[in-house]
This record gives sequence, C-alpha cells and structure tokens, in this order.
Amino acid sequence: MIPQLVTVGYRRPGGRTRRLHVPVLPVALVLSPLLLVAAAAGVVACLATRVSPGGALRGAGRLVLALPGTRLEIEQGAAAVLVSIR
Amino acid sequence: MNEQRRQVLQMLAEGKISADEADRLIDALQTRPETAPPGAAPGPKSRPKYLRVVVNAADPSTDEGGATRVNVRVPLQLLRAGVRIASLLPPQALAKVNTELDRAGVPIDLTELKPQHIEDLIDHLDEVSIDVDDPDAQVQVFCE
Repeated sequence: MIPQLVTVGYRRPGGRTRRLHVPVLPVALVLSPLLLVAAAAGVVACLATRVSPGGALRGAGRLVLALPGTRLEIEQGAAAVLVSIR
Repeated sequence: MNEQRRQVLQMLAEGKISADEADRLIDALQTRPETAPPGAAPGPKSRPKYLRVVVNAADPSTDEGGATRVNVRVPLQLLRAGVRIASLLPPQALAKVNTELDRAGVPIDLTELKPQHIEDLIDHLDEVSIDVDDPDAQVQVFCE
C-alpha cells in the first residue's frame, strides 16, 4: 500500500507545536510533472553509473511501498520533531 | 512431518494423485497457517513487523533538565527494501567504499556482504531485544 498521509510536526523551545498533514496522493498528482523529470534524471544517472534502471525503479517502488508505518519522534527538552507516515 | 503432508504423500504413494498435484497441495499447506485443534496451546506469535528504538535520557548538562526522548518505529519491510537497493551498487563503487573504509581503519570488505546475508540478518532481527539501563538513560531496541 502506498503512503497516504505524511505528518510532520515540530515544536521550538517556548513555542507551540505545529503539525503539517500532507496527503501524499494529491500532492504527488500536483507534482507529477516534476516527478517525471526526476524519474528521467534518475534513469540518466543509472545509465551513467551502470546501474540497472529497472532494478533501481523496482527498488525505489519497494522502498515507497514499505514506508507506511514509519514513525520518528525526537524530543529534546522543549524542542520536538515528529515524522509519521501512514 | 505433520498429518496433512503425510496424507498427501500417502495419496501420491498410492497413485491417487500425480507428483505435480502433490507438489501443489504441499505448497498450499505451507502457505496456509495450520488450524490449531481446540484446547491446544496457543501457537507462536505472529511475526513482528516493526523495529522499535526507544531512548529516554536525562540531560544533566542543561539547567532545565531537558530530557531527550527518541521513539523510532521502522517497518522491517523498509529495511528489506533498503537492502535490495543497496545490492544495486556497482562493484566499482563498492571498491571505492572499501578503500575509504580501509583508510579510516575499518577493514571491512563490503563486496563479501551479499544481499542474502543481510536478508537473513533482518529475518532474525525479530528475535533481537536490547535493553540498556543506565542511571541517566534507558535504551530499548526490539521488534513488535
């Protein structure tokens, strides 16, 4: 299953906690032209470094599909960072 | 050998099914979890899906006693995907990395590290549990 929601939260010392919820699919659709350019650049980079583009694409796909469930929380004193992928 | 597999092999021996059919049946038995008979002891837990790293540390260096808390949950599937991507590294890149590692005094030959080895490592990661208790910090690494 592809990631559906990425939550990024941060809290500065003495500040409020801010959370940003990013819906992945709509953002990916909006950025799809850039993603196509990035994919083309990736293929060129693969060919330049003699890495199989198909293998790299499969690997990147697996990596993206495995992302849901990842959660990273770091608090130090009053500052905090949260990254959650669902 | 479990009872169902024995029955399949028995039918193969008696000529009731072909070798191909026996193979398919045994495959199906392996992919289907066995139903435990009623009253039997509960079987092993389902396989863990996440690697958790939890750190709770008091920081005496700050005046306000700012504690550090780290809570990381990484899907094991993500580690496997990372290993597969790492296996795409071209040999010349690995050779360069080996040279730099050698120069840094870490004589590890990464070309000897096969993806299968790391896969095995991840497969057995679910049995790993690390607990570090210190007066100032507590570290836990486990799978859930």
